[in-house]
Amino acid sequence: MSNHVQRSVVEAFYRALSIRNMAALSDYLDDNVHWTISGPVDILPFCGQRVGKAVVMEMLVRDSPALLTGRRFVPSAMLVDGDRAAVLGKLTATKRDSGQAISYRIAQFMRFRDDKVAEYVSIIDSFDAVEQLLGYSLDVSDGRSPAAEGNLVAV
Amino acid sequence: MTYEVPRTVVDDFYKAYAKRDTKKLGAMLHDDVVWTISGPVEVLPYCGTHRSKATVLDLIIRVVPSIFRVISYVSEAMLVEGDRVAMLNRRSAQSNVDGKVISYRVANFMRFCDDKVVENLSLLDSFDAAEQVLGHPLTLHTRHVASQGNVVAV
Repeated sequence: MSNHVQRSVVEAFYRALSIRNMAALSDYLDDNVHWTISGPVDILPFCGQRVGKAVVMEMLVRDSPALLTGRRFVPSAMLVDGDRAAVLGKLTATKRDSGQAISYRIAQFMRFRDDKVAEYVSIIDSFDAVEQLLGYSLDVSDGRSPAAEGNLVAV
Repeated sequence: MTYEVPRTVVDDFYKAYAKRDTKKLGAMLHDDVVWTISGPVEVLPYCGTHRSKATVLDLIIRVVPSIFRVISYVSEAMLVEGDRVAMLNRRSAQSNVDGKVISYRVANFMRFCDDKVVENLSLLDSFDAAEQVLGHPLTLHTRHVASQGNVVAV
């Protein structure tokens, strides 16, 4: 029996995910799905790892919509190979607290089993996402003396 | 006939990239390659968009090694379809500043043309990578942290 996932299945999963069709999404998640979104969970509560369909569904229903509205994911590339799929896209949304528009890239890697997502890993440009969600630039100074760097001279 | 990159070519590129074999990489990068790495360039100087084979090779030979020494580059997923490749890897490296080991996942989306990489976009958990490179958590404004509703300043 082939373990390959069909592109039509991946596309249908994405349609359900993009519009948060929870009934359809439930059909596409394995009961023991592992769902990981990279990023600082204390700032972006939808980040982190979750295991199990119920937990993932709860996150999809609650955590992202709490921060953002008008959420839209626009894929720019979708690859399907064997039992895996990879999607590169851009998420655009509006911050609920300020009405400010945000946009950042997301890479998603999925492994399917019997046409259901068994594993999902999402890599986001989390530094950019955090700055946009917070609404200010992060302080990246490291407190070291410039003279100690070796490549800066104080005159 | 639509070009499809052979999986053997992708495997060879990955091995050369993981080992930083610049001679082999030079043969597998298109002259007009566009190589983009997402992230804050003020913390991770290798981030940004780099154009041309010479610039990308300089990035790999000089810029990245000036920040850290790559210890390992482990493949977690590699997909090949048509002229495109998607890779998910875990990079471990040792900082040149304080010797600390940093580790983060990197996603690469590549396009090949005539068995050479003509386009690459790398996405990484840039917040985590920045904190590891800096060696300390990034500071948030306390007024904002307190207003999150789930953090209390005492």
